[in-house]
Amino acid sequence: MGIIEKIKEANYIIIGVTFLLFFIGLLALLNIAIHQGGTIQSSSFLKQTLFVFPGIVLFFITFYLPKSFYHKSAYLVYGAIVLAILFPFIGQKISGTYRWIDIGPIGIQPSEFAKWIVVLVLARYLSDHNLDLKKFRTIIISIIVAIVPTIIVLKQPDLGSAIIILSTLIPMIYWSRVNPYFIFLLVGPLISILTAFHNVSFTIWGITMIGILYIARPNIVHGVMTYFSFLLLGLLSPWIWSLLTLYQQKRILTLLNPDLDPLGSAYQVIQSQTAIGSGGFFGKGWGNGTQTHLKFLPVQESDFIISVIGEEMGFGFIMVLFCLFALLIFQIVKLAFESNDRFSSLVLIGIGTILLSHIFVNTAMAVGLIPVKGLPLPFISAGGSFLLSCFMMIGLALNMGINSFE
Amino acid sequence: MLKAENIIHRGQIRVVKGIISVTFFILIARYFYIQIVKHEVYHEKAEVNRIQAFSLPAPRGLILDRDKNILVDNYPTFVLSAIPQEFENKQAKFDLINELTGIPFEVLEKNYTRYYRNRFVTARLAKNLNFKQLSLLEENKSSLAGIHYNKLPERSYPSQINGFHFLGYVREVDRVKLKKLGDQTTYDLGDLTGWNGIEKYYEKYLTGQKGIDFFEVNVRGEIVGQLVDRIIQPIPGNDMRLTINSELQEAMENSMSGKKGTVLVSNAKTGDILAYVSSPGLSPQIFSGGTSHEQWKKIIKDPKTPLLDRNSSGLYPPGSIFKLILLFPLIEEKKVLPNWETFCSGSYSFGDRIFNCWKEEGHGIVNMEKAVAQSCNIYFFQAVQSVSLEKWAATSINFGFGTKTQIDLPEEKNGLIPNRNYLNKKYGKWGWSKGAMLNLAVGQGEILVTPLQLLQFANLTATHGHTNRLHFNYGEFKQLNLSMNYSENTWRLVDRFLIATVSQSGGTGKLADPHINGLKVSGKTGTAQNPHGEPHAWFFGFGKYREEIISIVVLIENGGHGGEVSAPIARLAFDIYFSNKNIDLYTYGNN
Repeated sequence: MGIIEKIKEANYIIIGVTFLLFFIGLLALLNIAIHQGGTIQSSSFLKQTLFVFPGIVLFFITFYLPKSFYHKSAYLVYGAIVLAILFPFIGQKISGTYRWIDIGPIGIQPSEFAKWIVVLVLARYLSDHNLDLKKFRTIIISIIVAIVPTIIVLKQPDLGSAIIILSTLIPMIYWSRVNPYFIFLLVGPLISILTAFHNVSFTIWGITMIGILYIARPNIVHGVMTYFSFLLLGLLSPWIWSLLTLYQQKRILTLLNPDLDPLGSAYQVIQSQTAIGSGGFFGKGWGNGTQTHLKFLPVQESDFIISVIGEEMGFGFIMVLFCLFALLIFQIVKLAFESNDRFSSLVLIGIGTILLSHIFVNTAMAVGLIPVKGLPLPFISAGGSFLLSCFMMIGLALNMGINSFE
Repeated sequence: MLKAENIIHRGQIRVVKGIISVTFFILIARYFYIQIVKHEVYHEKAEVNRIQAFSLPAPRGLILDRDKNILVDNYPTFVLSAIPQEFENKQAKFDLINELTGIPFEVLEKNYTRYYRNRFVTARLAKNLNFKQLSLLEENKSSLAGIHYNKLPERSYPSQINGFHFLGYVREVDRVKLKKLGDQTTYDLGDLTGWNGIEKYYEKYLTGQKGIDFFEVNVRGEIVGQLVDRIIQPIPGNDMRLTINSELQEAMENSMSGKKGTVLVSNAKTGDILAYVSSPGLSPQIFSGGTSHEQWKKIIKDPKTPLLDRNSSGLYPPGSIFKLILLFPLIEEKKVLPNWETFCSGSYSFGDRIFNCWKEEGHGIVNMEKAVAQSCNIYFFQAVQSVSLEKWAATSINFGFGTKTQIDLPEEKNGLIPNRNYLNKKYGKWGWSKGAMLNLAVGQGEILVTPLQLLQFANLTATHGHTNRLHFNYGEFKQLNLSMNYSENTWRLVDRFLIATVSQSGGTGKLADPHINGLKVSGKTGTAQNPHGEPHAWFFGFGKYREEIISIVVLIENGGHGGEVSAPIARLAFDIYFSNKNIDLYTYGNN
């Protein structure tokens, strides 16, 4: 199949939405560049515009390569990316982290690409037709595949990207029709620990567990043991936590969230919320955002770009933006559902998860729904590696979405 | 290949679509709440007020002596800073501040660029403002939008002791240091951090956790309100109790004034450091006040090297004290019996060289006890020939020489114990002879030790090997990694010789004994030849009263004879320590 025929087969809605979103992002960056002094030459706008060329080239490459290529080389590419995210640890820290590999004048963040490469490997492993989906071992191996890069990325430290890599695991396991009871065994202990600090949540969780066990009907001894061990784990965790000294608790919290910067993040959320809230329905108009243009918001080109858009364009436009994002995700899921083979279908679900997680974490933190994590908004935020990675993901998604009979 | 068919249940796709819908619903609902429901609130906030965050510095923990007297304290100074965001017309404002306070324009400008981080965080302009300056600034606040002042706890040193070398000092974090610390959440430009000594070693423990104060600031940069519910209070650092005995420390510092050298006193059993003097020292205050560039240059270039901590990082030949090392293999392996006698005529010829005793007219007939007590070289020149270089080096290393004592200070030197390889490398395989051993036997030649290593040696000798690691942290005892396998007989003989050195007529350490009833003083003197002039004067020993043993090491650089100049300082230390404890039993001898 030539590239022209292949493009004719592709999903036009995804292509259209992608470029519309990218265009909106460019406008927001241009706005920041014009209204905040400084030169266009040194702005994120120019950088983003320049990155679109390699972006489109990579988009076509990932789109054009045959599916069998991805399937065959998945494990090899996985090994390469694990080495690549380990590589920065050899050198010096760059702005306090080990995220970057310097290639001439530009820096590359390999962890951005690791996100969808992990998806490829999981898809290959879970689509193996010899795989026994009834075995718990299947899940354990999937976890190992995802957890290795997660831990390395967490050490860089980059909590946001680590969460993204791990977030693909459960949807993909679910999609591959592994016994859902295994998923319960997997996430149950975590939910027990997390809900244990809130009585109502813990009660609800306790009742939910009975429901799950009733539906799943495991062996009675096993079921009862599972129930009580999860319950006990939950009951013990606040007690164990209270045994730790304040210092140890702080150590664990900073380990879980290396971005924890009381001065910075508390301040950022207050400012971001004020900016978005003051936008109202219609916004203050392009270039009229008092909050954003007084430079109250740090990292407004990347992590907090939604605040600029929210303040100047208002809730109406935010709605449009969310609709575009939702359309994109639903189209990817639709392709996953219609796909003929399980590998393509799983890749599509994985990519959909990555994009949705990014959208949720980024927009939710800007309005104080969740703690601040440094994650960019797909196609909108400035950021070279992430933009390239996004174009590659879309190329891959379109590729997997074509049902050919090779 | 891609054989596995894609079989998806309708139920599965419904769940997935449901989750996506709920996610977007939550987001849209939240944005609706903030942008539509709460719009008025945020609109007003954005129009009138802006929120400014100020960090509240946390005081460092205090440093106390063993009796909980404060050695290092905090006092508040006032700091003037500017919020770049609000600080328009910089030059005009600098002029006005200069006019009001007299702080030079250049200082303001220099500090501003030095402490500038970003537009939202205050940049320091000046420190140590007095009340008059503050009130003048307050009066003119309307024309000084964007300035801010707050209290900053600085270090002060209320006690009589100096302690520069073990207390260390704090300095402001600058850009270079900030990068090195890598920890952007704990430290900011201008924060204090330990740069040496206890302040550095226990930095994590002493340093507090900063708090944050949020203020609402109007368009003119004036503070109009405080977000009280958001204040995060600073948590002060932990206090640190040291093992230092202030009275002893002060007396030892005074006794060393004008001299170059060190005094170390410790509790031999616990390893508690009671006094730690390296002379000349500096006032720890020099880094908190404004030390000028010239002053600083002078300190660095001072030939007396006041910055050097001689106890941990000064390397010296140990002189005759090292004769004790030789005693252990001699007695233990019965190479030489304690009652073996030889004749000292004042000199000894070995090969084609002549080796001298310090006493030119000679000691006459000497046995082992007399050789230690009167520090006869000739005896040891002969005795050492029955011991191999390997054995001698192994014994030295066994007593902790050549390795760090691991005291709780950030810097320490290893010293040097030569072995066959070292000498071969330095002089060539045939370039050195057994004659080198004769020098090593009396603590001269290639040996280098730190005073701390000698103090540890004193503790090991005094307790027959049952001591702890040397330390400043009160109540923390760590095992030493040294194992002593000498027979009780060997220890007892060494004890006897060391007591003889102080009590016997002709003993070189006689001046170390304060003659307190019930106090048994042991010791050894050393007079170490060195290329820098007069020999270094050493005293090494311990005093035992009932169950308590206090060990001491004194070194006076280029001081002459250890028994004459260093031993009296040890006597003073014993006197102060034990006479205070037992005032009723204390009687002075006639010496």
